[in-house]
Amino acid sequence: MSITRRTLLQSGLKVGAVAAAVAALPRPLLAQLGSTLEPLPPIEDPNLKSLAARALDAARGAGASYADVRLTHDRVRTFGINSHIDDVESMLVGVRALVNGYWGFASSPVWTPDEMARLAREAVHQAKTNALGKSRAVDLAPTPVIADGHWEMPVAIDPFETSPFEINDFLESLSFHLDRTPNTRLLANTAGAVVQERAFASTAGSYCTQRCHRIEGAFQFERQLERGQRGGFALECLTPAGMGWELYAADRIPRVRDHTIYEEIDRALEELKEDLLMPVKPVEVGRYAAVFDPLTVANIVDETLGRATELDRALGYEANAGGTSYLNDPSTMLGSYQAGASSLNVTAERSEPGAVGTVKWDDEGVAPDAFTLVKDGVLADFQTTRESARWLEAAYTKHGLSVRSHGCAAAPSAVYAQLQHTPNLTLAPGRDAKDFGILVSGMERGIAVKSGQVDLDFQHSSGLGGGRLYEVKQGKRVARLAGGFLFRATDLWKSLQALGGEEGLRRYGMKISKGEPTQEYHHSVTAPAAMVKDLTIIDPLRKA
Amino acid sequence: MKVRKTSSGMASGRRAEPKRLLAGEERILTKEECDAIARRIFAFARGGGETQVQIGSWTSGELRWARNRVSLGSERRDVQIEIHRLVPDKGSGQAATNQFDDESLEAAVRSAERNAAAEHRPMRPTPGLPPHPIATWPKTAIWSDSSYNLTAETRGEIARAVIDPAEAKGYLSAGYIETHAGTTMRASSERPTGPYADVDVPYSKWTQAQCSMTVRDEQGSGSGWAGHSSYDWQSIDPTTLGARAIQKCEASRNPVVLEPGRYTVILEAQAVANLMQIIVASMGRVDAESGAGPWALAVDDALHIGPQSVWRTKLGLKVIDERITIDHDPFDPRLGILPDPWMEPVTFFDKGVLTNLGYNRDYAITYLDKNAPRRGMTGYRMSGGTTTIDEMIASTQRGLLVTRFSDIRNLDGGSLLSTGLTRDGLWLIEHGKISKAVKNLRFTESPLFVLNSIEQLGVPVPVFRPVRNQYEQGSPLTPAIVPPLKARDFSFTSTIDAI
Repeated sequence: MSITRRTLLQSGLKVGAVAAAVAALPRPLLAQLGSTLEPLPPIEDPNLKSLAARALDAARGAGASYADVRLTHDRVRTFGINSHIDDVESMLVGVRALVNGYWGFASSPVWTPDEMARLAREAVHQAKTNALGKSRAVDLAPTPVIADGHWEMPVAIDPFETSPFEINDFLESLSFHLDRTPNTRLLANTAGAVVQERAFASTAGSYCTQRCHRIEGAFQFERQLERGQRGGFALECLTPAGMGWELYAADRIPRVRDHTIYEEIDRALEELKEDLLMPVKPVEVGRYAAVFDPLTVANIVDETLGRATELDRALGYEANAGGTSYLNDPSTMLGSYQAGASSLNVTAERSEPGAVGTVKWDDEGVAPDAFTLVKDGVLADFQTTRESARWLEAAYTKHGLSVRSHGCAAAPSAVYAQLQHTPNLTLAPGRDAKDFGILVSGMERGIAVKSGQVDLDFQHSSGLGGGRLYEVKQGKRVARLAGGFLFRATDLWKSLQALGGEEGLRRYGMKISKGEPTQEYHHSVTAPAAMVKDLTIIDPLRKA
Repeated sequence: MKVRKTSSGMASGRRAEPKRLLAGEERILTKEECDAIARRIFAFARGGGETQVQIGSWTSGELRWARNRVSLGSERRDVQIEIHRLVPDKGSGQAATNQFDDESLEAAVRSAERNAAAEHRPMRPTPGLPPHPIATWPKTAIWSDSSYNLTAETRGEIARAVIDPAEAKGYLSAGYIETHAGTTMRASSERPTGPYADVDVPYSKWTQAQCSMTVRDEQGSGSGWAGHSSYDWQSIDPTTLGARAIQKCEASRNPVVLEPGRYTVILEAQAVANLMQIIVASMGRVDAESGAGPWALAVDDALHIGPQSVWRTKLGLKVIDERITIDHDPFDPRLGILPDPWMEPVTFFDKGVLTNLGYNRDYAITYLDKNAPRRGMTGYRMSGGTTTIDEMIASTQRGLLVTRFSDIRNLDGGSLLSTGLTRDGLWLIEHGKISKAVKNLRFTESPLFVLNSIEQLGVPVPVFRPVRNQYEQGSPLTPAIVPPLKARDFSFTSTIDAI
């Protein structure tokens, strides 16, 4: 008999219990921890530690000087139109081994003791094969041993313990809410949640387990006004976040939205209407003062400073893929390169609640610290892992900084090897209580940019930007502009005039691809609005 | 076989498959294994209707290097089993897993059925559409033992052989070698076709190999790139690629700033393929008939069918240079096309005339009285000529030689106006000779404009077009065979800093 909501209700269960019954159906996913299959235990079960130990023992036995093993168990649930639900579940394991300065890695979907040993031997084999060549030095920066740590990302409403019927109903209610406004059309209304349980063990003696959540959504619509003006909009409060269903259900989320999601839809409809009623003008190419909204600033920070301070990228480890960095001499530039105006301060961490890059330990068993990337406009540090932290040892010593990984080693699941990925970033706000609106109102003549996106070259220096551009006259947005802007990373940050205040900070989740093979990872960027002078405005559709 | 009791207390009359598959020497699933998994899944279904299963597996041998040393050698594999339950009067639901023991498969089937129940829309066969035609399956040969059997040792030797000459000259080499194999199959419980059925896809396997490298000097004042991909490792010559990357690095050092503007350009085949990607994405018939995209024909009297306007399209009109024919032959292994039910050779542009756009089966039945879709332009061959790049250079008074483009973005759907960057080698040509290396430029140009401004064409060659994602179940490659070409009045709009 198939299970439907109706059959459960008919059997006399009350509505709440229906939801619980549906959500709690048995999921006997199996693992072979010993010699037989048994239901997969929660990630903090001590039996998993002995499974992981098999891999480490085999790696050491085969000749690794260091090895680590990661087990990940992912559940992904996506909600689409017509209440369509898609569930994906996977179990993966990956072993990394270091032999004579060379790394090897092997991974598969099989959690058994024999497979742990096979993967370890294969990882060592891969490393040894390459250690036949010229010597290579790898000296991992020290990290405290973790003795059986366990951490769970706190979420208010776990989407996997919530009835999918409820979530579908909620999403449908957003469509109904949109329908109250005439002449609107829904373009997208989807949501997706991931919960990943992961275990990490290393030959240094560390063992830790974590349960991390990620959720994101898309709500896009089109609106037409009386005279036929038509345009589209997307809610900006649904970018990837380290939380649960509260992304949608909470009344407000600090740094994400100040109102309920229904109110956000109403505000978006109103803002779209204001936009559509404004005249559209062609750009007058030139240089103008410009105010960026927090989303635009977050995108610019991420591309010009987030990518550029990935230490592996800066030293040429992504040269055959995404490219390099304009910060191409890290040892010399750390502490001396003027990356922007003295009001520019950028920090990094992986601990902010609700941010999507937040973890307790990274994928090398390092507890990430909060660190400063740019201080008072000067480049202060880079993003590091245990191996790459050593590459800056001389610069760290010179500037009195300790030689340690900042905890940026990460991989989307155990089937991928760890790479250095960007942590959460924050552009520090200004001291005054200004926001985008106040910065615009203080501008006699200039440009305002909302929802801006930027494309940087493969050294993350020259950029082309687009988004919703407006002409500002006497503090008011008077026209929409069909245009874009060109900039150079360092020049732009040096021309920083003002930053929005703490109240106007907004946090956005970003997804970045790097590596060969490519892998994606998420982090958040928090930024205020900002004003710059002399932004070059162009018509991006104009040929030479 | 022993009857196991699971700890949830259910006596299991089925065998719980021990975790034997894919652990050990076996890197991908065999046909027999996939069939057995599918049968077990069909047996778990409850509630009637139909069950569709898509089973894929992949394995990848990888070697990455940077700064003249290998940074990682890996061997990885995974499986994906997607289960789709279509339950009458309920809905359709999907669930996927990468575990192939009985309990995990049954749990996934239950999950799919739960999801089917959650959909409010009862599932009925689409009225009026005839069933899918029974497909005949041609043999395609995109499997290469030399790709599948390439060992870690060989990858290591190749990397060292490519790195050594670069290191000897004081340069920094970074690169990547990958050999990848995959399998896919799709089966439905109501074979050959039931009322809801999508057509089964027989078990197929493929390989893909790629090798690419970037050589830069220590100061970062020059950069050269070369790469190739193919289903067959033997089509890849790492030594030649390595030498080309070094030569381009040397020749590109200390570039000078060149004023943006319109230039005659000589595009190497890789650059042509980069631009063509914008056209590949535009080849849908329904878009054109809705007035969108470059192939809609703006005439004053749009045809009206019901409340919608149906635009005329440019099918049958000459849209690009008559020397260009672009076709797709599913049986050309260089195009890496996996079996699907409607394999047929298609010509998209015939001597400059637009002859075909892609559409799905629903459209075909409604408007074309035909029970089959037409694929879009993924995997294509472009015609060319016989002029060599050296000859193109020699006959150019003033122009630019481009290795490849990067970060191309479409700016306008109607004209296909796009922007992007040159990368890894850009040289000024003056009076028939390469005169100096030039700083990279941003272009604002439409690939359609380029295909209408052709002066000379070279011999078509396969280019570097590797798979992006191991989990792509369909055709893993969108390879292209394109010629180098010379075109006039190509628009570069600004200089960029990146080298």
